[in-house]
Amino acid sequence: MVLRFAVIAAWLALLSPAFAQQRLQVVTTTTDLRSLTEAVGGDLIAAINLVPASMDAEDYQPKPQDILRLKNARMLVRVGLDYDLWVDKLVLQAGTRDLGRGGSGYVDASFAIAVLELRGMSVGPGDGHAHGSGNPHYWLDPKNAEIVTGNILEALARIDPANAARYEANRLAFLARLQAKLSEWEAKLAPLKATPIVAYHNSWPYFARRFRLDFVAFIETKPGVPPSPAHLAGIVKTMREREVRIVIREPHEPKRDVAFVADKAGASVVTLAASVGGLPQAGDYISLFDVNVEALKAAAAR
Amino acid sequence: MTETLTFLWPAFLVAVCLVGIHAYFGIQVLARKVIFVDLALAQIAALGATVAFMLGHPAQSLPTYGYSLAFTLLAAVLLAFTRAWGTRVPQEALIGVIYVVAAAAAILLIDRAPQGAEHLKQILTGNILTSGLNDVAAIVPLYAAIGLLHWLLRGRMGGTGSLVWEFVFYASFGMVVTSSVAIAGVLLVFSFLIVPAAIGVMFSSSLAYQLAIGWIVGMVTSAAGLAASFAFDLPTGAAMVCAFGASLAVAGLLYPFLRGDRRHALRIAIATVRWVIAVILAGSAIQLAVAPRADQPLLDMIEAAAPSVRGLYFTHAEQTTFTEAGEFAERYRMEAEHLNDVEKSNRIEGVAFDDLRVARISSFLKSYGEMRKGEQFVMGEVRARARERVRWVVSLGLLALALAFAPLPWQRLGARTSR
Repeated sequence: MVLRFAVIAAWLALLSPAFAQQRLQVVTTTTDLRSLTEAVGGDLIAAINLVPASMDAEDYQPKPQDILRLKNARMLVRVGLDYDLWVDKLVLQAGTRDLGRGGSGYVDASFAIAVLELRGMSVGPGDGHAHGSGNPHYWLDPKNAEIVTGNILEALARIDPANAARYEANRLAFLARLQAKLSEWEAKLAPLKATPIVAYHNSWPYFARRFRLDFVAFIETKPGVPPSPAHLAGIVKTMREREVRIVIREPHEPKRDVAFVADKAGASVVTLAASVGGLPQAGDYISLFDVNVEALKAAAAR
Repeated sequence: MTETLTFLWPAFLVAVCLVGIHAYFGIQVLARKVIFVDLALAQIAALGATVAFMLGHPAQSLPTYGYSLAFTLLAAVLLAFTRAWGTRVPQEALIGVIYVVAAAAAILLIDRAPQGAEHLKQILTGNILTSGLNDVAAIVPLYAAIGLLHWLLRGRMGGTGSLVWEFVFYASFGMVVTSSVAIAGVLLVFSFLIVPAAIGVMFSSSLAYQLAIGWIVGMVTSAAGLAASFAFDLPTGAAMVCAFGASLAVAGLLYPFLRGDRRHALRIAIATVRWVIAVILAGSAIQLAVAPRADQPLLDMIEAAAPSVRGLYFTHAEQTTFTEAGEFAERYRMEAEHLNDVEKSNRIEGVAFDDLRVARISSFLKSYGEMRKGEQFVMGEVRARARERVRWVVSLGLLALALAFAPLPWQRLGARTSR
């Protein structure tokens, strides 16, 4: 047993520097950023995400291995907007100054994003977010991928200037593909324009803006606080008045509360992935939207 | 209003069922001094369900329930056998260890399959508000059967019986807790278990009376908690738990008056209240004198209740600045809200804003946030300076008040100095 571990450890030690020389090691906090980083880096980089798919990145508890992952990395891509605050501490522990704020390998993907639902320091009523820096779910607007991949490209070109042209070509090819897909998604969701929808958590403002959907209420008023009877009654009333047929739930959100509300108002529950890997079919950034668009379309047809 | 009430009565019905069985088990649990056993059993059941989930069984399927039950029964065996431990190491220690190890083991399992996290949460954090008549239909037969079993075995469940009866006790309790925790959550089930039983035990020594008191208290408190959750727009489970805490406090306060020397109890109660007030006043006085810029909970509360109090220690200029800053802060908040509303309604109405317009709105929102923060800083600064100015006078006044409230033997002190 001990021998086996020793052999594996030796093998890994031999392998990792060689591996690192071949491909540029990138760490991202979420799966979405990993997918976008891979789209730009192609086979020149090896990206890993710290938060496993379908886990809530906001209350992720880093593991010891994560420090090792950061130590071996030359670039860190994070969501920002207070969404993955824990990564700052992790970078300090890893002692990799280049990956800290202002470092050469540091990418805050939210840079230059037009942030929605900014409410200063206070928490607005009933929007389900305690973020002083606005709603952080900006990757759910495919258009924002242009900005995010731009941020990633800039950092990759800085770290690895020799391959800058290849990174740029990768990004343009990805954006062209995304643009074609976006038209397809917009066409598919066009019939849902202004369709009233209720969601458990307010993850969807960017998605709603791009595809012109109407999120009328959220079941969760503050993160982690169960809804009060009056709030639930209000939601059910709104749903009956506006004939809401769709309630959106993410895979990690409580099934029972969502089913309860949907049941009372005669709506159906649709499980959407708010992140790559949230649902098994949502394997990368483009299929994330494929899956969500198809699920919404199917729910609207019901 | 009526809409909300239609939500609350199924929850009340569920609460009545849960109080019914838990008040009884609570009395047994108190007699055995195994207060936190419900948490350990619930956590073990959740671990069993997690294992089933990892093995590929869907949630709420028969195999999952089987695993859950098997784990609970194993824990029941362990608990029955370690009853004899009590002489050297309290059994409560083992219960605590079972709880933390089961919780930690579940986390380790979940770490390998994140989809399980929601599942695990669902087992342990029910929401009584979203429970319904189907839950009642599921638990009533189970609770009735277990209640009947315990009634038939009533001579043997006193906690002094053989290993077999102890096993039966823990196994049946495990089944009750596993179902109730999934409906109402760990916190509320613990309240159902301990509070009615504790109040019953406090006021009677016969099981029948203890049960009767526990049931009445449990039902009235549940109704009060639900009503508070409705009236003050609060999360239901948490409101009910606090209601149970309050009812235990009331019972504790009433106890000395109902069971003992009333005059003595009254004297002690008054002395306690006076000491509490004196300590709060003295503490506030010291806090104001030492750190006038820090939070002053007492002064802040008084100012929040009666803002005109500020007129007593603000200069005219300070008052003007303070009010104006408050008005500006509110104005910026309204402007930001308005922009947010404009952005939100544009998502579905009219021609969609282009990216530049959205970016402008976003940057305006950011500026309003900063400006509002600035105004709030001004308000805090004005108040801090005013408090710094009056700190000695006010804290001396508070200290004098504290001394006046403290039930110190003034007459005796006076007598001694004059002698």
